[in-house]
Amino acid sequence: MTKDFAVPPVVFPSGGSSAGANVQQRRFPAAPFQPPRPSTSAIPFMSFDIGSAAASSATPAGPFGGTMSSSSSFGGGSASFEDEEPLLDELGIHPDQIWKKTRSILNPFRINQSVHKDSDLSGPIFLYLALCLFQLLAGKIQFGVILGWIVVSSIFLYAVFNMLAGRNGNLNLHTCTSLVGYCLLPVVVLSAVSLFVPQGAGPVRFVLAAVFVLWSTRACSTLVVSLADGGEEHRGLISYACFLIYTLFSLLVIF
Amino acid sequence: MYNNMGPQQGMPRPPGNPEPGPFGNPFTGAGSGFIRGGLGAYGERILGSSSEYVQSNITRYFSDPQYYFQVNDQYVRNKLKVVLFPFLHRGHWTRISEPVGGRLSYKPPIYDINAPDLYIPFMAFGTYVVLAGFSLGLNGKFTPEALNWLFVKGLVGWFLQVMLLKVTLLSLGSGEAPLLDIVAYGGYAFAGLCLAGFAKIMWGYSYYALMPWTCLCTGIFLVKTMKRVLFAEVRSYDSSKHHYLLLFLALVQFPLLIWLGNISVNWLL
Repeated sequence: MTKDFAVPPVVFPSGGSSAGANVQQRRFPAAPFQPPRPSTSAIPFMSFDIGSAAASSATPAGPFGGTMSSSSSFGGGSASFEDEEPLLDELGIHPDQIWKKTRSILNPFRINQSVHKDSDLSGPIFLYLALCLFQLLAGKIQFGVILGWIVVSSIFLYAVFNMLAGRNGNLNLHTCTSLVGYCLLPVVVLSAVSLFVPQGAGPVRFVLAAVFVLWSTRACSTLVVSLADGGEEHRGLISYACFLIYTLFSLLVIF
Repeated sequence: MYNNMGPQQGMPRPPGNPEPGPFGNPFTGAGSGFIRGGLGAYGERILGSSSEYVQSNITRYFSDPQYYFQVNDQYVRNKLKVVLFPFLHRGHWTRISEPVGGRLSYKPPIYDINAPDLYIPFMAFGTYVVLAGFSLGLNGKFTPEALNWLFVKGLVGWFLQVMLLKVTLLSLGSGEAPLLDIVAYGGYAFAGLCLAGFAKIMWGYSYYALMPWTCLCTGIFLVKTMKRVLFAEVRSYDSSKHHYLLLFLALVQFPLLIWLGNISVNWLL
């Protein structure tokens, strides 16, 4: 059973009409064969149309916090590259949001809590990589250690906060990890600064570390108490837990 | 008498948001065992299953852990004073009980200085790990792996302390005190250890004075607390056996705390 497909007309310069010559020359067409480009992004062998494709691709994109552009890449194949979501949006990384959140922690005296309302994990990943990079520059390869400690300490803070807050506690683990990660920024700065402080000057390093750890603690406890219910009367207790977490990270930097 | 807060208050609201985040429910993996053990009565809500079997099993082994976290600043300060200087505690050592819904239960830690809590033991344990890392670093031997081993050592020490208390209770005929109470009493030893560790960092020789002090204070605290627990729990009062066991309890604190306080790279020693 033959399937007929459109062959572009072959034009011979001689305009000859002999059938044999036409057949022979049709075997080697001058123009390259182009498959018909679907203008409506509906490839015949895909059984769903663009409407349901957009709906089904929107739901996985939703929790990533990406923009809700109807992705026609699902149904359009290679035809609609221009219509695809930008890569960063699809991955859920929003550099301007990360920069805003990071900048809000840079001021140690007044922390803008409203930008941290929707938590994300890509900022903490950048800060984690930055910390690992500075540690690498100091000669310590601690990628796994720092990641493990971030995970354990965010679980610890999550457990302590929700237990202390009791019935009203509604901190969830994603927010907790996001806050612990963002408040690592002072520790990242500490590790950058301590590259220039010689190893032998003991007390100087300790005092420096103490300043940054206190900054970190203040940022983290303020954010955690303001973003989740039930923590106001336990502020001191929660900030001691945060203090322990960041002292642990500063140990990695100092020694 | 000990099943205090569980059935009366009903199932408390889950502490975490049970809807899965972008990476799914984080507790279905390897962490589920820890979470179930650590959060006790919240376990079945967090795991997403609402089986009565799971809930009843958990509440059988762990009393409601939320009771142990009803603390505030003033309680923590006063309790630390009691743990570190037990002979200065002027009042009585019995826990205040109140009738709740027909059964006798104990008042939560905010209202009763003698009630055990879990906040201080956990924070003292964390402080112990951090201080141990610090003193390792001051001797130039800090590595993250050494710190992990010290964490394990602290856990083993806590476990040994809990075993000691549990065996004491069992050998006197009744082991009905809730497990989390015993875990809390066992963890108070870390508060004294932190004090000794801090002194060691400040001035090395003060450690040799402060360590026996810590052992003594922890011993006195445990003896006074267990005396009340035994009095409340055990039916028959066999005076000499009680006293010998309590004395043994206090004496064992010495080697145990000296082992825990000896911070070096070889964690077994």
